[in-house]
Amino acid sequence: MRNLITLLLFILPASLVAAPTVDEIVHRSNMTTYYQGEDGRAQVKMIITDSQGRERQRQLTILRIDAAKSDAIEGDAYLGGQKFYIYFHRPADVNKMAFLVWKHLDQDDDRWLYLPALDLVKRIAASDKRTSFVGSDFFYEDVSGRRLDEDRHELIETTKSYYVIKNSPKDADAVEFSYYKAFIHKQTFIPVQVEYFDKAGNKYRIAKALGVKNIQGYPTVTKASVENLKTGSKTVMEYSKVEYDIGLDDALFTERYLRKAPRRQLR
Amino acid sequence: MNEHKSNPLVRYSVDHPKSVTWAMSLSTLLLILLALLPSLWPATFNILNPLQVDTDPENMLSADEPVRVFHNASKQTFSLRDMVVVGIVNPENPEGVFNPASLQRIHELTEFAKGITWPDPENPERQIGVVEVDILAPSVVDSIEQGGMGVVNFNWLMPKPPTTQEEALAIREKALRIPLLNGTMVSEDGLAIALYLPLTDKHLSYQVREALLGKIAEWEGSGDEFHITGLPVAEDTFGVEMFYQMAISAPLAMLVIFLLLWWFFKKLSLISAPMILAMVCSLATMALLIISGNTIHIMSSMIPIFIMPIAVLDAIHILSDFFDEYQKRKNRRETILYVMQHLYTPMLFTTLTTMAGFASLLMTPIPPVQTFGLFIAIGVFLAWFWTITFIPAFIMFIPEEKLANFGHQTEDAQDTGLMSRLLNASGQSIYRHARWVLIGTGAAMAVGLYGITQININDNPIKWFHSDHPIRIADKVLNEHFGGTYLAYLELEPGESTDTVTEYSQAMQQRIKAATDQLAATGILNSNVVFEQLYNQTALLASTVQNKAALLHALDNYINSQMESTTDDMFEAWDEAQLFIAHERQRDETFKQPEVLQYISDLQTYLASLDVVGKSSSVADVVKTVYRALLMGKQEAFRIPDSSNAVAQTLITYQNSHRPHDLWHFVTPDYRKATLMVQLTSGDNQDMAEVEAQVKRYFQDHPPPFELSHRWFGLTYINVIWQEEMVAGMAVALAGSFVVVLIMMTVLFRSLLWGLLAIIPLTVTVWVIYGIVGLVGKDYDMPIAVLSALSLGLSVDYAIHFLSRARQLQGQHGSWQAALPHLFAEPARAITRNAIVVGVGFLPLLAAPLVPYQTVGIFIAAILLLAGIASLLILPAIITLFEPWLFHKNSRRPNHA
Repeated sequence: MRNLITLLLFILPASLVAAPTVDEIVHRSNMTTYYQGEDGRAQVKMIITDSQGRERQRQLTILRIDAAKSDAIEGDAYLGGQKFYIYFHRPADVNKMAFLVWKHLDQDDDRWLYLPALDLVKRIAASDKRTSFVGSDFFYEDVSGRRLDEDRHELIETTKSYYVIKNSPKDADAVEFSYYKAFIHKQTFIPVQVEYFDKAGNKYRIAKALGVKNIQGYPTVTKASVENLKTGSKTVMEYSKVEYDIGLDDALFTERYLRKAPRRQLR
Repeated sequence: MNEHKSNPLVRYSVDHPKSVTWAMSLSTLLLILLALLPSLWPATFNILNPLQVDTDPENMLSADEPVRVFHNASKQTFSLRDMVVVGIVNPENPEGVFNPASLQRIHELTEFAKGITWPDPENPERQIGVVEVDILAPSVVDSIEQGGMGVVNFNWLMPKPPTTQEEALAIREKALRIPLLNGTMVSEDGLAIALYLPLTDKHLSYQVREALLGKIAEWEGSGDEFHITGLPVAEDTFGVEMFYQMAISAPLAMLVIFLLLWWFFKKLSLISAPMILAMVCSLATMALLIISGNTIHIMSSMIPIFIMPIAVLDAIHILSDFFDEYQKRKNRRETILYVMQHLYTPMLFTTLTTMAGFASLLMTPIPPVQTFGLFIAIGVFLAWFWTITFIPAFIMFIPEEKLANFGHQTEDAQDTGLMSRLLNASGQSIYRHARWVLIGTGAAMAVGLYGITQININDNPIKWFHSDHPIRIADKVLNEHFGGTYLAYLELEPGESTDTVTEYSQAMQQRIKAATDQLAATGILNSNVVFEQLYNQTALLASTVQNKAALLHALDNYINSQMESTTDDMFEAWDEAQLFIAHERQRDETFKQPEVLQYISDLQTYLASLDVVGKSSSVADVVKTVYRALLMGKQEAFRIPDSSNAVAQTLITYQNSHRPHDLWHFVTPDYRKATLMVQLTSGDNQDMAEVEAQVKRYFQDHPPPFELSHRWFGLTYINVIWQEEMVAGMAVALAGSFVVVLIMMTVLFRSLLWGLLAIIPLTVTVWVIYGIVGLVGKDYDMPIAVLSALSLGLSVDYAIHFLSRARQLQGQHGSWQAALPHLFAEPARAITRNAIVVGVGFLPLLAAPLVPYQTVGIFIAAILLLAGIASLLILPAIITLFEPWLFHKNSRRPNHA
């Protein structure tokens, strides 16, 4: 009981009563975007539209499992390694293609790619995560998340609905942006809009959350887009059949299961 | 002298010199204002057309020309842009630019180039200039490579400049392994780098070049040499230098004409009249050009320099005659009326023929050439009009006392000048040696004929610059190192399938059968049951739908409805059925099919065997490069994988890079169109035409695995097309001009025989000049093509004057022999003066910094001088030999025609 009171005293003033700190905002936002639940699954329909209005579609399933079994922000309890399994259904000619990502907090991610038609599993050197995710305007980093300690965060504005955070990279040479501005929703901590600025100071990339639903108590983005203002290309991802805490087996997230996809879990 | 016989317009001018002068001044001023005001204050005078400059060779074709429409559509389809190419070499370093210092500068220049953008003045929201995302430079392209055991790497080729020589060489090694970069961005010899800077609009290339030059200037003496080229740069630079041409050559032409007139007449007050005339006509014509919304183009920029010498020709005839006649009459009014009376008809006809010559250019399909012809015809008309009005008016302003010592005092004085003596002697000797003159003419034509057979039709906009121009040097250096900087694109497209739904569904049922067997082997539950249903359903639906798309759609719906109600043990099989339909849809994706990619690859190998082709790039290169990287980087894996799925997975792997959009420069996202980028080391039209012919033959000899149509586009190809149209169009214009001039001459002399006689000298002239073009090996290019037709109209002038005076004098003196000395006095002198004025008048074009202008200058001067000589030689020789036929009817008519 005494512990609980101590805890309440600790939490209330900091996060609910008074305005949260920058650190807290970015952690909450990070947790909401990437770490909700112990694991999760979503069907994704991806529509890439180029500057001429030509569309390409992809359908995939994303499975995720977290190493940390907590969603608590306090003491960064939610933070930990993560594993992603990304399986392609369509286009038909890339059916059964799969990606496996092991995200680490203290070292570069491990990435594997399975190409069924070539019967080939390749490791992808992950030194740069800001490359296109299968030809879309999303980067790998947008799918698996960018480590918070790679940027400096600054609360530059608080509006009626949003905390506006300016994020500047600690290693400017490693990324193509000079900073990005995230509009984080005050209640859900979902980054509703993220704007990227290039080294000349021009806005060149916008990520948006276009739809949010409450699923199993978790505020969940069900439709998101990234637009590249330089190429005029835009990608929309629609998430369906989103489920959390389904009890995925950690063993699925291994190279072995790239060749032999866990079909039941991918449906 | 009967005053009522003179033209009323002339008489009016003589009687009202002030109003004529005012009319000319005011009308010219008005035209100039209408052109100048909207150019200086476009916003205020927006209903009027401002001055517009156009340097785009593409505009040699009209905007709706199919080749051009296709070119623009394909550029859009494949997001291709016109580019500025910056080549960097370092002759001092044995490794070329692959050293840390040079790569540092290249990195810096790339960063600088990214920033060469500015807001579009017409739409400030939009940035124009260099298109960053499509730049090709070491720091912004990916290296797709093998990264040790089972690892594939997508990294920037040069994320930051190297610090050691080893790192610099490693970058080279990586780049040379990527076919898309080798020979394009990095030279095959590994010494040079080329940066490709795509532009939002090619007309910005001059500004981009200027910005780059400013940056490059910082590195003077570094050992690196920077060369900027690319067709857009050449074209834009040309546009800028075009104004130098107008600024240098036009005033110089004025000066030259002034000096010649001074030499002829030695009377400042008198020769200021033709000078004013030349100014008025060229200014008014240029003003009309601008007012009518036409552009200043390579052709139209030459209008002033064409009009100036032509404008003074008639005035020279008038003044020459006036010079000779004044002292006989000592009355300016009487003299000018006399002169105008007997010059009126020849002047009218020379004007009409000159106009016809230029107007014949309207028969070519090349819009800038049409504009050029039309406006010079207008300018020539203006010149005629003001000649017969303003020149007499002007003479009326000169007080009689100032003319007291003007002109020839006595008959003797006529023979003292060098020109007079020479002409007189020529006349005598032609009469004696008429036969030899004609034999000589025949011999010249025989040599000319041989020369004409040697003519080489070719053009190359880069060669519009002198060989020591920075653009030419850049062109030379870069084409030595790289696969070529002249780009042409070959678009490939499959034919539409002509199968009916029934034919298609039957073939599909065969594929369902084959899939059933395959799936049974993989052990998917109930697959044979599900695929049998699919088979039956296909047969059932095929008879109810209109087309293939509808059939697949209906089958998809059918499968979806089955999946909603199916049991768990059937689900996977239905999932496979759905996948099968998705595959069916992808069968149309032609450029994912291995056999098609192999065909493209073989075509590329063939292209590479052609001398002028440096290299070519296609989606096949992308597939092979990535496939090799996936298969441990082994050289034998540098090939097209065996299945369309494997191709698709290779391509999606490629799209995991920093620049997935690069793929769409080679193939459309629906894989229904592909393009082959061909780099040529020469921009000569004949080389491009040869490549085109060879590729056509290749397609005939090696039929593609699918029906595949091919079509060229790209600036290098566009140039070939307009040249072809130019050559064909000029043949029509030349023939048209010839016929028109012949008809006019026949009408003028009321005799077909005399009409034919009149066109003999110019026929000989054009014939011999084109023979010389062939003999000296000068390419038959755009300026030379244009000159053929227009020169006919100009060079017939001498014959008109000569023959009409010949007939007059023959009538006056009773016989040809008696008339000859008189003909070789004033008339021959006027003709010689004219020939010198127009010939020399065009020579200031030689001072222009651009080759086509110089070609025009030399060429037209040669034609007009030779036509003058030919007229004075051949016509008297023929008349001497054929006198009885020519004069038998007219011999007793005292008047001119």
